[in-house]
Amino acid sequence: MDRKQCCVKVSVQPSRGLVDEKFVVLVQNAFPGFQLTVHAHHQCEDGHGWEAFGHYTADATGTVNVSEDPSLGGTYSGAEPMGLLWSLRPVPGSKPGLRMRKKNVQTPMEITVSVYQGHQTEGFVDQVPLTGVVVERWYMAPGVQRIPITEDGLTATLFLPSGPGPFPGLLDLWGGGGQLVEYRAALLASHGIASLALDYLTPKITMETGKMVDNQYFETAYRVLQQHPKVLGSRIAMLGLCFGTSITLKMAVYSQVVKLRCVVCISGSHVQPVDGNLEQILSFFKKNADKSCFNEDNEVIWRDLLLPIPTDPSLKVDVGRLQCPLMLVVGEDDQNCPAYESAMDMKEMMERAGNSHLLTILSYPNAGHLIEPPHTPHARSSSLRTIGSRHMLMALWGGQTAEHSRAQEDSWKKMLAFLRENLYGGTDPGARLISHL
Amino acid sequence: MALIHVQVTYTMSTCGPPITDAGQTRWPPPFFSSEDAALLPGFPKQSFPPPKAILKTSSGSEREHFCCLTLLSLTCFAASLAMCFNVFTVNLTLTVCKHGFMFPLCLLVSSKVTTDHSVGGSYLGCEPMGLFWGLQPAPGEREGLRLRKKNVEAPYTVHISLLEGHVSPSEGQTTRLATVTTERWYMAPGVKRIEIRQDGVVGTLFLPPGPGPFPAILDLWGMGGGLVEYRSALFASRGYASLSLAYFGHKELPGPLNRINVGDSYFKSAFHLLQAHSQVCTDRIGIFGLSFGVYLSLRIGIHLGVTPSCLICINGPVGSTSKLSDPDGKTKQFKSEQTNWTFDDQGYVSFRKVSLPSNLFNGSLVKTENLTCPLMYIVGEDDQSASSKENADLIEETLRSVGKSHLFTRLSYPGAGHLIEPPYSPNSRASLWSVKPKKLVTLWGGHLAPHAAAQEDSWRKILEFLESNLRV
Repeated sequence: MDRKQCCVKVSVQPSRGLVDEKFVVLVQNAFPGFQLTVHAHHQCEDGHGWEAFGHYTADATGTVNVSEDPSLGGTYSGAEPMGLLWSLRPVPGSKPGLRMRKKNVQTPMEITVSVYQGHQTEGFVDQVPLTGVVVERWYMAPGVQRIPITEDGLTATLFLPSGPGPFPGLLDLWGGGGQLVEYRAALLASHGIASLALDYLTPKITMETGKMVDNQYFETAYRVLQQHPKVLGSRIAMLGLCFGTSITLKMAVYSQVVKLRCVVCISGSHVQPVDGNLEQILSFFKKNADKSCFNEDNEVIWRDLLLPIPTDPSLKVDVGRLQCPLMLVVGEDDQNCPAYESAMDMKEMMERAGNSHLLTILSYPNAGHLIEPPHTPHARSSSLRTIGSRHMLMALWGGQTAEHSRAQEDSWKKMLAFLRENLYGGTDPGARLISHL
Repeated sequence: MALIHVQVTYTMSTCGPPITDAGQTRWPPPFFSSEDAALLPGFPKQSFPPPKAILKTSSGSEREHFCCLTLLSLTCFAASLAMCFNVFTVNLTLTVCKHGFMFPLCLLVSSKVTTDHSVGGSYLGCEPMGLFWGLQPAPGEREGLRLRKKNVEAPYTVHISLLEGHVSPSEGQTTRLATVTTERWYMAPGVKRIEIRQDGVVGTLFLPPGPGPFPAILDLWGMGGGLVEYRSALFASRGYASLSLAYFGHKELPGPLNRINVGDSYFKSAFHLLQAHSQVCTDRIGIFGLSFGVYLSLRIGIHLGVTPSCLICINGPVGSTSKLSDPDGKTKQFKSEQTNWTFDDQGYVSFRKVSLPSNLFNGSLVKTENLTCPLMYIVGEDDQSASSKENADLIEETLRSVGKSHLFTRLSYPGAGHLIEPPYSPNSRASLWSVKPKKLVTLWGGHLAPHAAAQEDSWRKILEFLESNLRV
């Protein structure tokens, strides 16, 4: 009997976990000094295959511990506990421009982790691995409830944490791609925050009437959350990425209805016509469309659309008037939005206004635009259909995979701590809080 | 106003410790002194294992104070016959210690179940997994309950809640400050469950994920009968193909339900079926038996001409406790062989004396001197259902007399009862055995905390034993 076929084993602990949890991949019973490839494979909802792998050498006990041992090559290198997830890339032969995003958050991502003999780089599908296990990664923790919200013309989904409540709430806004994207809100609910994912670019009402929503739409979403019996109306935060930042800052500073405990803005800017509604902000961006650049791979770079940062106050949200803590998360290699420049300008505005003690900036060298919850693959560019147009573009988001993935891990941890401090902690929202979490 | 948040890592975990766990059994201080611990066979020195489920609570509070909190875990399971929900609760009381005081306005108070001590409730001391193995029927539930998972394809859902103050469930409703939900699974992702009804064999086969082939286990339970799947599901989750075999009290087996109607040829077929499976390594099969399953494991492993790589026996006899009807091993109808039943002052029946070696049916004693593979025998020293210690002594002595002691490993656990099962499930000291002709509750033995420790330690050792005999 083939010794190695029965003997080598791989385990992943935990075998079921939340997407942002770490796991430990352990290979045992290999021959000492044996060369092995640890491989991960995932088939996403669209049917595309994704893979990642690392090259290892078994130690004197025949063990490989992916969390501690360095990968000598593959899709990631060095000691990277979660490299098998964040370095996932489309399998050879896939069409270009793919980006992995989970649509159905009620089922897990299933990943097969296998061990192959030797240091392999291709042809995994044609080989039989030595051993393998399946890992489930969930966006929804046990007990989290998913509730579609259609009242008052909203297109949204509410995720409630498990337990009696009531819970602090959060409004979750994504960016210019539109759609109702649920996974971040689901994950936040898994951490005890009742989160409302809101579709504001392609909601039912816009698809049916052709009209963009106005500012009241967001105030309605806020009110629905605030009045929900399981939500603490006085503890609501708002989180926006990219274009979602534009809306978030507008609401945080100018809305009479929306009262926030804290705000998180990822990869976004405060540059916008301050008196404008959604449609007007979009036109403002479109007006500057001639500032788009294309790189040699024909990927569009949109970061210059908002540059240089204007000095005209009617074109920037007056963050000096902000009364609650603000966290800005910025990738310094963001090719889609001048998030870093905007953050620096916001800092200056707040210093001048005297409220900069409210500001926290997390800035990551070599991180790109799409700073998302950790342990999912990085897309440096991907195909995108812009709102209102029919053709596809390849948008350059930026970021170097390893550093971008580290930025996702670090920023997510800090965002959760920031949200917990402000939503769960003390009664004085203005005081700076220290968290031990 | 302070808000409390409770979290559990890991939110969805497979029952039983990971194979990689380097930790050792912790021995709860209130029950045994460290000197006792050192004398007990099979017990390593105390140290804390890596936590399997870390419970962390945190809250902001404006005043610096010690606050009393109660943690409550709650799980429901449906009895498939009566379709009723039985509620189990455990009550852990712990004192939260001040941790990190930085500003007058906000004090972050946190506590960790893994390192803090319970000062009352269902268990005492520092018990990371006490909320699971300490589960007991809720006040008002009927007597004689035993928590067993029938449907292994769905998890146990356990709700862990924080209650204010030091309360006990019988005091009635108190406000839950916060709750977290966790799932406990017997089947890891990718494990396949296959119903086996082939060659007359009735069982359920669990295959691990991966290309295979896999080492395998033939898994035998006791005279409770039926088809119990969870241990096999767990073995498969740890990389072993495992066949849980029905042999008694199952409607798809021949003959009347109240006797064993299958004999040696049945068990041989089962072993060969497993061996011949394309996903099983033919020469790496172990046999596992609990209670009456011990006698069967020994009989199959030694008398039938099959060659298992190892045997694991928990709390069972070396011969049959029922008269055989034929040399093939079938038994006669179980009349009231009640001469050896004993009753305690609560009217609970103990079957312990039935399996004393002198009471076993002579023609059925397995010739353990013919053992050819490693054997691990596990004893619960408070076993009230079987004479485990006496049978272990008999096997040990027999093997010693033929120079085969090197094949024998014995684990012995004080305070543990008959039902030594995979860890973190609560022990039932007694449970309902029969309703007809009269209602009987049988005594299994075992005290909650030491039994829990025995389950944890023995499971680890079982997995190591399987590893060295089936995989290396």
